[in-house]
Amino acid sequence: MDGHTTASALAQLRAPRWLLTALAVAIGYYLAARLGLAFTLKPYPISTLWPPNALMVAVLLLARTRDWWWLLAATLPAHLFAELQSGVPTTMVAGWYVSNCSEALIGAGLVRWAVGERLRLHSLRDWAILLLCCVVAAPLISSFLDAALVRLIGFGDTAYWDLVTQRFLSNVLAELTVVPLVLTWATALVGGVRKPGSRTTVEIALLASGLAIACLIVFDLPHKGEHTSPAFFYVPLPFLLWAAVRFGPLGIATALPVMTVAAIWGAVHGFGPFASQHALDTARDMQLFIIAVSLPLILFAVAIDERERLERDSRAQLTHLSRVATLGELSGGIAHELNQPLTAILSNAQAARSFLANKTADPEMLAEILEDIITADKRAGHVIERLRAMFKLGETRFEPLDVSALVREVATLAHGELTTRGVELDLRLAPQPPSVTGDRVQLEQVILNLVMNGSESMAACPQKDRVLMVRTLATAHKVHINVVDRGAGLSAPAAKLFEAFYTTKPNGLGLGLSISKSIVTSHGGTLWASTRRGGGASFLVTLPRVPPSA
Amino acid sequence: MNTEQVTVVDDDVLVLRALDRLLRSAGFAVQTFSSAEDFLHQRVNSAAGCVVMDLSMPRFSGLELQRALAEAADCRPVVFISGQGSVPSSVEAMKAGAVDFLTKPLDEQKFLHAVRTALDKHRAAREKDVERAAITSRVATLTMRERQVLAHVVTGKLNKQIAAELGTAEKTIKVHRARMMRKMQVDSLAELVRAWTVIQPPRL
Repeated sequence: MDGHTTASALAQLRAPRWLLTALAVAIGYYLAARLGLAFTLKPYPISTLWPPNALMVAVLLLARTRDWWWLLAATLPAHLFAELQSGVPTTMVAGWYVSNCSEALIGAGLVRWAVGERLRLHSLRDWAILLLCCVVAAPLISSFLDAALVRLIGFGDTAYWDLVTQRFLSNVLAELTVVPLVLTWATALVGGVRKPGSRTTVEIALLASGLAIACLIVFDLPHKGEHTSPAFFYVPLPFLLWAAVRFGPLGIATALPVMTVAAIWGAVHGFGPFASQHALDTARDMQLFIIAVSLPLILFAVAIDERERLERDSRAQLTHLSRVATLGELSGGIAHELNQPLTAILSNAQAARSFLANKTADPEMLAEILEDIITADKRAGHVIERLRAMFKLGETRFEPLDVSALVREVATLAHGELTTRGVELDLRLAPQPPSVTGDRVQLEQVILNLVMNGSESMAACPQKDRVLMVRTLATAHKVHINVVDRGAGLSAPAAKLFEAFYTTKPNGLGLGLSISKSIVTSHGGTLWASTRRGGGASFLVTLPRVPPSA
Repeated sequence: MNTEQVTVVDDDVLVLRALDRLLRSAGFAVQTFSSAEDFLHQRVNSAAGCVVMDLSMPRFSGLELQRALAEAADCRPVVFISGQGSVPSSVEAMKAGAVDFLTKPLDEQKFLHAVRTALDKHRAAREKDVERAAITSRVATLTMRERQVLAHVVTGKLNKQIAAELGTAEKTIKVHRARMMRKMQVDSLAELVRAWTVIQPPRL
């Protein structure tokens, strides 16, 4: 149930790779510093957006605490290399290294102190802590130190409080832009990003181009600030909202830097609404504007994400509940299914012992016995393995699946119960593997549910007629699973059958079919029920076919 | 033909092979079938031995198979084995004359004991059948008069009483009686009565 924690992202990078990591961090720091220097409004000494510190906060949050020292150390050469190029005195370069490291340590340290290594990026609480520690506390505290160092070394002649304010705003903006971007992407990449469908791809393209055009028009066209209506600032806002609502924290964390970079680039080159005669005013106005827009949007996206996640979780729990209920009905049959191999193992072993005792054992026969014992043991192990998977409340995992193999798995699991009920399974599986993309456990749950329903509907039939047919078929674009019984047919209109809590069974929850339908729907498929002309019910699952993976 | 055999019917081939080996290791002659149909088709009516069968098999349950055997007058005793012992089916099985009802995994001692009991039971039944057939054939050699005398003798009547009832002389009865005793191959009244009870239909 828990999402991927950010700490696990870099934890996978162990000893042999630490050098690579250090190198990557150093290069990242250097590039971020160059970017920060490029965002500096001359003659003003402090950048409008200084990303290296924020990058370090994000890196530390992704790493284990005991790796922090060498990650920070790795940035020293990059810092020296970047800063010394710009002609700053060495003492000041060293001072800034100290204040930059202090910001990273304060931000990441506070977060880790508050939530530990398990920072969950889908909880509103964790995000609030993250923003409070990294966006507010770290820049604020470190700015006092930074300004003090600047004054102590005597670099430039800006007043202490002006230095504090300028550096604070610059770093707040950087933290707000960089930390969510790095953390959401790192988490998404470690967790495995699902390839977007064609509709989603179109939506992303529309959103990205819309946002880019809006930002270009607002921030990067040559019109002076004095003539611009303040309402003009809000043109990118609909696109940002779109990103937040439809793509969650990852979407807004990606969209915000686009606007930020566009705004700063415009301001640095004297374009856009913020451009004015005074570099200080330009920087402050723009920083305040972006901060005021970004903070609520990020929290809004996280709140929506959290709610969606809760909904998904409760749906998953209901699905799991219904699955466990079905397995409960199966328990007698499962005992039978495990007893068979156990019987084979025990009786084989006792036979071998007895052959050995009366000296009639020959190696060939013993080899056969051992072979049978191994087969039986594997069979029991397989049943237990499938059961464990079915009982588990796991996350939905989409993978390529062969539907015929799923049917065979279900047949194995239900074999004991069907035998006890005197139901014969007539499997007619498509010769070429009909492949779909889906969650193995959930699709097996659907098939198992239909098989159990079918076998229950034939309880009143004479045993010779208790035949349940399960067919798989593949057409060019679809895969069908058809479960046909010889019972009395549907007891209610098909639509009613799929309603939640509608049941005809004395002990039924009334969830099986409704959840089966929602599982099939979430796989992009359909589930139909009908009564056959000769009697009996037919359930048809149709799923989109994917070419089998090579 | 007619050597004692344990016939095992189970749809699970792994279990079938294991039981085959277990029984052979204990010295039994074994025949196996993986379905009730195969068994019914290849069954020989006068076969000696017993049948070990799984209670739940597809198409043909063990209970149905037991019924089919009874209808075919195959009187081999049945030992049921089951993956899960349900009380109603075990009661039904025992009522229909099963020797035992064992749950899987099988306890070796209990299983072999049940098989032995079943074989003994069948052997005893068959021996009784042979004896009954012999006595019946002897009775068939008796004349009408001798049979009447036999019927009266076994109820404990004296020759004088029998003569009175059949309306003839005591001397004649004595002759009939001696001839009847010789044909029945018995030497005493006690032996005659025992033979007589063997061929009586069992009282329930």
